[in-house]
Amino acid sequence: MMAGVRYPARRRFLMAALSALASAPVWAAAPTPASPQRIASLNLSADEILVEILPAERLVAVTRWADEAGTSNVVGLVPAAAYRFVKADLERLVALHPDLVVVSEYTDADFLHLLQRSGLRYHRMTGLGSPSGVRTAILDLGRAVGTQDRAQKLVARYDRILGELQRRLAGVKRPRVLYWSSGMTAGADSAIGAMIETAGAVNLGRELGVGGIAPPGAERAFAADPDLILVGSWPGAEASVKSHPLLGQSRAVREGRILTMPNELLVALSQYTAEGCWHLAFRLHPDRIPGPRP
Amino acid sequence: MTETRQRRLVLAVLLGLLGLGLAAGTAVGSVPLPLRSVLASLAEALRLPHPGAPPLGPAGEAILWSARLPRVLLAGLIGGGLAVVGAALQSVFRNPLADAGLLGVGAGAALGAVLAVNLGWASELFLGLPLAAFAGALVSVLAIYLLAHTSGRPSLHGLLLTGIAVSAVAGAGTSLLLVATEEFRVKAVLFWLAGGLEGRSWAHLRLAAAFIVAGVLLLWLLGRLLDLLSLGEEEAASLGLNVHAARLTVLGLAALVAGAATAAAGSIPFVGLVAPHALRPLVGARGRHLLPASFLGGALLVVVADLAARTLSDRLDLPLGSLTALVGAPYFLLALRHHEGRL
Repeated sequence: MMAGVRYPARRRFLMAALSALASAPVWAAAPTPASPQRIASLNLSADEILVEILPAERLVAVTRWADEAGTSNVVGLVPAAAYRFVKADLERLVALHPDLVVVSEYTDADFLHLLQRSGLRYHRMTGLGSPSGVRTAILDLGRAVGTQDRAQKLVARYDRILGELQRRLAGVKRPRVLYWSSGMTAGADSAIGAMIETAGAVNLGRELGVGGIAPPGAERAFAADPDLILVGSWPGAEASVKSHPLLGQSRAVREGRILTMPNELLVALSQYTAEGCWHLAFRLHPDRIPGPRP
Repeated sequence: MTETRQRRLVLAVLLGLLGLGLAAGTAVGSVPLPLRSVLASLAEALRLPHPGAPPLGPAGEAILWSARLPRVLLAGLIGGGLAVVGAALQSVFRNPLADAGLLGVGAGAALGAVLAVNLGWASELFLGLPLAAFAGALVSVLAIYLLAHTSGRPSLHGLLLTGIAVSAVAGAGTSLLLVATEEFRVKAVLFWLAGGLEGRSWAHLRLAAAFIVAGVLLLWLLGRLLDLLSLGEEEAASLGLNVHAARLTVLGLAALVAGAATAAAGSIPFVGLVAPHALRPLVGARGRHLLPASFLGGALLVVVADLAARTLSDRLDLPLGSLTALVGAPYFLLALRHHEGRL
């Protein structure tokens, strides 16, 4: 029976304060200019794009992944003054006074709710699961931060690389490639699957009926008899395929066709996706592609 | 029907069903292998006479001998081991709802596994993860034992409560390490925590078998001692049993078996509860009878669950631990209600 309950004055004050905090933004954003001037990135894709399309002084925060070799394609390119987020930290974010926060489609809804309650504007990058989706995401981000021209230049280069790749790979015999990582493969609707196909190969994950990144079962993967097994350059990734009781006996492993790809290119969901496709195509079709970098 | 005949009948039925389960588990999978060809391949390897059958081919032979057979045998061994541990602990704790979780085995093994992944042992050392998980399980049990004995010989309640505390500490350590583990390594530990037998080889089978077979046999030989412990501390002591030493022996063997099973397959819940509980009314509560029946029942349960994990979806392998939980949890709730109704 709540009606008869009487709280002490101090507790009533505390409850009123908490209630006010819950119903109003904890930090009211200053009126934002047409183009945001202080941009904080909370995902690596945005880090990689923003480094190229923003003047250095407008990038106030990136993720810690941006400095990590083997994960990021922009190591050493991020301004030292930009804050590095180890995790999505609302308190630190608010303290940086950004006028735009860039999040990804994987940023969880609870955190987005917190951002909204805090009065921070955010731009959410979506559709990064395919090269065409990445292209659109770069243009959208350029519009959001007010550097459309730079984003368009970036996309023009991206298009040139992918167009050149398509021209060089026309009519090529496509090997059947299985991506493998701790029992998972990349199927249809996955960025790695799309990269395999763009690089002039058949994605075995799609043939196996896998959608997204999922475990197909080692027996099925073995029976599909891949021409080549693609792994990331994570420590132990290649060794785990070789020591797998079944995949270790596959034709691809027996014939030494495990392709280890630099992680930063394999998982790139930015303009570097095109470089990743090029790199993989070079490894698969060295007779058609002149070098590992476009 | 006499009790002896009923027991023999139950054991024979379980043995037959397990044989069928092993055969089905070996022949059926995401890639179907003809049963006749599988049997012919097995017979040939054992140099037994067999009627001719179409050969499996190199791919089929590789699937059978490198992946499916060790996996199916490991499933049986782990299921049997966990069920025997459950039956033994239920006697020691005099509670039909006891299992290896009370010893902190799962929590300790998880901590060991996450540590191995965090430090890179899992990716750099062959069998690094299961060995670390096994060590974690044993350290956890040892910690429970040592902490519970700081104020003399502990009661069963003292052991239980210490087990809860040590498991909580191990769980906290696991969470801390997971947060501090690089993202690309986390997937390996998540697969292990979900429980499953994907990628397990003869090496895993040999490692697990060394401890499970020895532990199960010793527990079975100590069946009479289990019967005495199930009478209660005072009554067992009045019959001349050194209760402390007996309890310690059983708990140590149970920890070895459960630790090896958990290290090889991750968390496979409820097997230790379901199998002994279902078979006790059929073969009686005496250790010498209940333990072999539990072994066969637990083995059958996990072999069938693993078969389901591999075949229910034609696109994905499902986590084995989730399937045993889906079957075991409703059974556990029914058992709990039945147990409470009798109190």
